[in-house]
Amino acid sequence: MKGKEQRRNLGYGLLFAAPWFIGFAVFTAYPIAASLYYSFCSYDAIRPPRWVGFQNYHRMFVEDPLFWKSLWNTLYMVGVGLPVSLAASLGIALLLNRKLRGIAFYRTLYYLPSITPVVAASIIWLWLLNPEIGLVNIVLRWMGVAHPPAWLTDPAWAKPGLILMSLWGAGGSMVIYLAGLQDVPEALYEAAALDGAGKWAQFRHVTLPMLSPVILFNLIMGLIGSFQYFTQAYVMTNGGPQDATTFYALHLFNQAFLDFKMGYASAMAWVLFVIALTCALVVFRTSARWVYYAGEAR
Amino acid sequence: MAIHVKATTGPTGNQTRQHGKGRTVARVARTIASHGVLLGIGVFFGLPFYWLVSTSLKPDSQVFAMPPVWIPHPIMWRNYPRALTYIPFARYTWNTLVICSLNVVGTVASCSLVAYSLSKIRWRGRDLVFLVLVSTMILPAQVTLIPTFTIFKWLGWIGSIKPLVVPSFFGSAFSVFLLRQFFLTIPNELSDAAKIDGCSELAIYSRIVLPLARPALATVGLFTFIGAWNDFLGPLMYLNDERSYTLSLGLQRFVSQHGAEWAMLMAASTVMTLPIIVLFFFAQKTFIQGVTLTGIKG
Amino acid sequence: MKYATSKDQIGRRVPANPLPMCGISAISRRILITARCLALFAMAAFSAGCGHPSRTGTTEIVYWTGWSGHEFEVQQRLIDEFNRTHPGIHVHMLSQFGTSGYQKVRIAFAGGATPDVMSTVWADELAGYAMRGVLTPLDDYLRKSGRNVDREFTPGVARMLQVDGHVYGLAVTTNTNFIAYNKQIFADAGLNPDWPPRTIAELDAAAQACTKYDAQGNFIRYGFRPGGLNLWAYVFGGQWYDPVSRRVTANDPHNVAALEWMASYRKKYDIQRMEAFQTTFGSDETPSGPFFVGKVAMWSTGEWAQEFIRRYAPRLRWGWFALPAPPNGRRNCTTAGGSVFVIPAACRHKKEAWEFLNWISSPHAVKAFCLGIGNVPPLISVGKDPAFQRDPLFRFAIAIAQGRNSFGPPPIPIWPTYSREIARVEQAAMLGGEDPKRLLDDLQVRMSRELRRTLADLGR
Repeated sequence: MKGKEQRRNLGYGLLFAAPWFIGFAVFTAYPIAASLYYSFCSYDAIRPPRWVGFQNYHRMFVEDPLFWKSLWNTLYMVGVGLPVSLAASLGIALLLNRKLRGIAFYRTLYYLPSITPVVAASIIWLWLLNPEIGLVNIVLRWMGVAHPPAWLTDPAWAKPGLILMSLWGAGGSMVIYLAGLQDVPEALYEAAALDGAGKWAQFRHVTLPMLSPVILFNLIMGLIGSFQYFTQAYVMTNGGPQDATTFYALHLFNQAFLDFKMGYASAMAWVLFVIALTCALVVFRTSARWVYYAGEAR
Repeated sequence: MAIHVKATTGPTGNQTRQHGKGRTVARVARTIASHGVLLGIGVFFGLPFYWLVSTSLKPDSQVFAMPPVWIPHPIMWRNYPRALTYIPFARYTWNTLVICSLNVVGTVASCSLVAYSLSKIRWRGRDLVFLVLVSTMILPAQVTLIPTFTIFKWLGWIGSIKPLVVPSFFGSAFSVFLLRQFFLTIPNELSDAAKIDGCSELAIYSRIVLPLARPALATVGLFTFIGAWNDFLGPLMYLNDERSYTLSLGLQRFVSQHGAEWAMLMAASTVMTLPIIVLFFFAQKTFIQGVTLTGIKG
Repeated sequence: MKYATSKDQIGRRVPANPLPMCGISAISRRILITARCLALFAMAAFSAGCGHPSRTGTTEIVYWTGWSGHEFEVQQRLIDEFNRTHPGIHVHMLSQFGTSGYQKVRIAFAGGATPDVMSTVWADELAGYAMRGVLTPLDDYLRKSGRNVDREFTPGVARMLQVDGHVYGLAVTTNTNFIAYNKQIFADAGLNPDWPPRTIAELDAAAQACTKYDAQGNFIRYGFRPGGLNLWAYVFGGQWYDPVSRRVTANDPHNVAALEWMASYRKKYDIQRMEAFQTTFGSDETPSGPFFVGKVAMWSTGEWAQEFIRRYAPRLRWGWFALPAPPNGRRNCTTAGGSVFVIPAACRHKKEAWEFLNWISSPHAVKAFCLGIGNVPPLISVGKDPAFQRDPLFRFAIAIAQGRNSFGPPPIPIWPTYSREIARVEQAAMLGGEDPKRLLDDLQVRMSRELRRTLADLGR
């Protein structure tokens, strides 16, 4: 690229991205910088912050066992919950990506839990996962499991229970997959079929590559969402039983808003930032190998 | 080039006719099977919403019965008029609509511009800006709430809807990321041709890329609308006059310290969720064009 | 991995006019028109809802309350009465929806956007806010209005309103703890329904007698499940903080005894099963709560339960008794708490704010509010009013509230953290089976350190 073209591109690039730059400068930069500053301060969110250096970080790593427990809980969500929900939403999107009479009705049906108020979902899941009379355990007993898990009242099974519940939220990613799926041209499938590719091969060699930009999106957003997992635990279990569902963001929230410890919470936020950013960077770095962009700007 | 779905090499014409009848039966069977699977799993997904609606018609005593009461008896139709007059529903709906529409317009306009810059123009520092943009989503919001509030206070916007609306005109990381991924699937031949013809970037953006990205824009619009519709914390923090309250705040009016008007709350929640369902059902056509039918293309 | 060149895709997706023409086009014009409409729309939207029409001569007082729903309405009626009878002041009440509004209250303090009066401060947090200097001390106002907190309020509430010798808030409600019991189950189990337990031993025995299992060993109903270590520690004669020595006393031997007693229920009954059984009936205060449907014989609750029982289980035959205490414990014990009305230090209309606060905490207003929402009044004079005394439950609850064994949160700035840690210790002992003494020793170390650091932070 010649210098003149480079400069022209730079000009246009900055111009088009100007809204974000302005927004970042006005609304985003200061809060982020402030929170970094708070992480090195003792700040109760009422009186001005007081610089204390690395004290918050020291306490976090050395004195707070709940920090490690909540981090573990969240990493569990990332490691187990994320793949499960990604696979589920992709599966459902594939299921719904067909022409069938009334398919619009089905798509709406599957999207419903994402827009139903949390209280409704919570009640249903409290019932479904009820150890005595819940549907899940009734089915398990019918299948011959003698002592089905006690789900939300058992520390060992509370997180899997919440992961099951998160499957319902597949609606959002499902919609994005559907929008991406319709971008896959019919012609490619037909050409593949002509070459003798069966359904599975078509999926692997046409669908997945064409869908890969969107998969990357859902993967990154799912990663970020799992690291920040909070709402269900706050509403349904409030961290119990025995801190099995005290996730990192919940612990952070308690420190920030119940305990007058905004400085400590900020330090926690930045530790999470580093961990999550590292994971995201790894995903982005390796994405070049499996993501196919038809329109990469040259 | 007309492209038809065609069978692989094999049956002759005669056999095709006979197999035609067999194929119809097979097709009907497949359709029934599809419906069966979709409905079977779909019932599961529809549970929370069904519970919501059925609870809105229950007398208070049955609301939290375990196991849940699936069919209310007696059916309390009057929960609905009671709920809709308990709070100024029409006004809150209008307030919410204003905020949502402005958000949609602002987000779609600004994010498409920024996403275009990050995907269709090659400029130095682009990838770094993209990374910074994505990483702004990683930091948990709890620790930036106070500095953000301070900015709005300094601007004098507390007590108005400006904090809820203006930032959407400056790009939202989520939507920019999503649109960038979609823009990257649009091949460059058309825009290259247009550039050779001497078209400006703005023209390429508005006349080539935007129309081709309509499904993605519709998806972004839908998510933005739903996010703003259900947002509770934002309106709570920045609105201080009940006359400007949104529906999500209005719903809290049903909740007392010891117990709540549960059935009425569910009725109000149902009414609040219905527009979103209708919106999604009809907007599907725009962002899920479905598997394209056979026929002439191009 | 590509099966076709991108030309096919172009072939499919080209818009109607494949040759873009440059320059101002129909689309650009459409965009401009839309932008103009948008701007008008936005201007209209932003200007709507801007402030109240100004009333000349009246001072506007903004009051934030945590109550919503039914309680909000009762309070609104009182606010209207105040506005009618005080022409120079207009109080505007805004609900912050209880605990959902937590973040907003904190942010208001942090961002300097507090209202003139607020009752969204819980008694737990009062010391924390007061010691950080964001609340107005009320001593002068009280004196000028001829009021005296120690004389007017029940002892527990009076103590709870004072931090460092100053009064920082006033209460208009309080609660009392006691145990409700199902007389029918008592009779069923062979106990005298009119003779509830008086001692811990009797309580344990009654719990045992009332618990029934089916053939598979599942619960049909259970007798009692102890909960609330915070309260039971006081019942057993302990305390969490000693104001005289100014020390955290988490591992006070009485506290340990209380926790050990609670944990004994874990050994006697399969606590995991009891938990599961309990959740079968939904939350305690919903219509299908275990007590309302006869699945538990005794339930530790407060005077608000009467309203629930009337609504959800009107045919239930029930009674009540004060928390039984061990020999060296405290009889008729209860906690005091709830919301406290405060005037933030940043208030700019303190005189008017005090006039409102004074009125809303006066016997007339307190009586109306407590009757309206079914809470115990914190004012001694109001408690003696026949309107409350004629209800047997309230007569009983008020007697306890006015007794000397009523304990509000200790006046330390770390109490929200401390009470949450106490709840976690309780869970660890009852569900996790950990050793009570070790748990409380650990709590002692941690909370002492926490208090020391926080006080140092506050410059004390």
